[in-house]
Amino acid sequence: MRVELPALASGMSRAYVAGAAGTPPGTGNPARDVVADVAATADRGSRVAAVLIAFGWHLAINVPAIVGSWSVYRAPWTVGVGWLVFVVVGAISAAHLLRGTPTPTWRLIAVLLLVEAVVFVNTPATLLFQPANWGWGTLGWFVVLVLWGRPVAPLVAVFAIEATVALVAVFVNGAGNAAGLSRYAMYTYGTATLPIAFSVAASVLRTLAARTAGTATARAALEAERIAAQRARAERQERLSLVNRTAGAILTELAEGRADPTDPAVQRRCALEASRLRRLIAESDDVPDPLLHELRAAVDIAERNGLLVELVAVGTLPALPVHVRRRLAEPLTATLASAQRWARLTVVAEPAEVVVSLVTSGTAADPVGPAPPVVADEEVEYVYERDGEQVWAQTRWRAS
Amino acid sequence: MGADPVAGVMTDTEKRFTVAIIDDHPVVVEGVRSWLAQEPRLIVVATGEDPDVVLADDQPMADVILLDLRLHGHLVIDKVAELGAAGRRVVVYSEHTEADVILSVLDAGAVAFLAKHEGREHCVTTVLAAASDRGYVPPALAGAIVGDRRSGRPVLSEKEREALLLWFQSMSKASVARRMNISEHTVKQYVDRARIKYARAGRPAATKAALLARAIEDGLVRAEEIIDYRSYASPDQPTP
Repeated sequence: MRVELPALASGMSRAYVAGAAGTPPGTGNPARDVVADVAATADRGSRVAAVLIAFGWHLAINVPAIVGSWSVYRAPWTVGVGWLVFVVVGAISAAHLLRGTPTPTWRLIAVLLLVEAVVFVNTPATLLFQPANWGWGTLGWFVVLVLWGRPVAPLVAVFAIEATVALVAVFVNGAGNAAGLSRYAMYTYGTATLPIAFSVAASVLRTLAARTAGTATARAALEAERIAAQRARAERQERLSLVNRTAGAILTELAEGRADPTDPAVQRRCALEASRLRRLIAESDDVPDPLLHELRAAVDIAERNGLLVELVAVGTLPALPVHVRRRLAEPLTATLASAQRWARLTVVAEPAEVVVSLVTSGTAADPVGPAPPVVADEEVEYVYERDGEQVWAQTRWRAS
Repeated sequence: MGADPVAGVMTDTEKRFTVAIIDDHPVVVEGVRSWLAQEPRLIVVATGEDPDVVLADDQPMADVILLDLRLHGHLVIDKVAELGAAGRRVVVYSEHTEADVILSVLDAGAVAFLAKHEGREHCVTTVLAAASDRGYVPPALAGAIVGDRRSGRPVLSEKEREALLLWFQSMSKASVARRMNISEHTVKQYVDRARIKYARAGRPAATKAALLARAIEDGLVRAEEIIDYRSYASPDQPTP
């Protein structure tokens, strides 16, 4: 007997764990993670696109323009160095962007604006609205990189500064006539709208992706809950029909006089049926919490072995990680498996504390007690006490 | 699993208390009557299924009313409040052991709540305690108090809460005493003090005032503590 019992206990524990693995998700907070993941994936595409546009423009449009105008720049080397500075700033922001680390925003933007001003100063008046004045048309795409993930207002502010610099340059270069100003307006509009539109579109895409993922996750959770509720109902029906049969049998025997109410065995059968019925009535949860589910499964098995078990739960259980749930339930269900005559199992739940306790008249296991009196790990404390016949085991989880 | 006798009741041994049982199931009335019949200090003077009939003026006056919470399909919490306000000592017993039901029954002014399956000893002890305005706390009631998460709930001390929790778990004050390494008398004090905090909370009722008065008399709480509390929180403030 003594050799078999631990095997029985551990076998039971495994059964509950298997049951728990099939229970609906609801512990931890995976939903929020999924939403964030989907949004991040969608955003990554936009980031790569932004980097490609900026560098594509800088190489394919600016290099030929600079080479072609090399001789007419006032100080060609400064323009060349400016081009390299753009590459460096772009590389820094692209690295931060693709790694997801924050970019040193305002210093980089100041450098970009400075380079742009240098290019303006270097460009002859006749080439002001030509690709040779490359800083004007390129700055926007690099600023998009630097300001990624921020609201559109700072981006617009940078464009306003750029437009002011350009306007000063237009007047200094003597192009402040009607024709020059209208070209200036066209150019400013042309350089600003595309980067702003791109930045807004990326932000909308991010929001939409997150929202869509959120909806899908919520729908999946709802569906999982529905399935769990259905299964809980089916299980309850099954138990009800079992109780109907067994309780019906004892009632029939009593009515027909075949069972003697003074017989202790008959009294015990009645008590067992009453406690089963009581537990079915007390189950008010539509979707059983995984912990309660495990405990009820253990109680069911114990009752089938003729043990009288009372299970009382107070409070709403917080979502617990699987390993915590296991540590809360397993020591007690193992003790329950070797309990004799009666047992009282209670659960008191609060958002930051869950206490599960088992009191029983005695166990068939080693009379010294199978466990040390207090075993505490980082989260779940386990106390086992034997006082004469009575055994008291308790597991307690406290949120850290 | 036995209930412990209520200290203090023994001083009233000479006195006999009258009890009315209100339940819509005759078999339950008979069962409870037979439980109480084994206790010489209690006499059942009236039974029936309608509180208005059982407690009518022409009926013998009952010191304690044992009231089934669900009569003909309705929870009669309003009736509990009405009787509590009139100073009638109501012990509610029910199979509805959801914590919020139990707590609203206490708030309505019931002296105690007893789960139907808690058995004879708890029933007799509860009725005897109620007769002398003492609020005995059966395990189901202890569980409801321990699990109380309402925002306006009374603040229990660490020890009071632990004593209630262990009492709810084990249903034996001797076990609680051993576990907490204190005397059984101290365990009882912690539990009773927690109960008295509930008498101070929520809407006022004559029964709650009587519980508080008896608690002061028993030295369980000091009068100043209660006066402080009353001036701190308006008694008309409803519990959320």
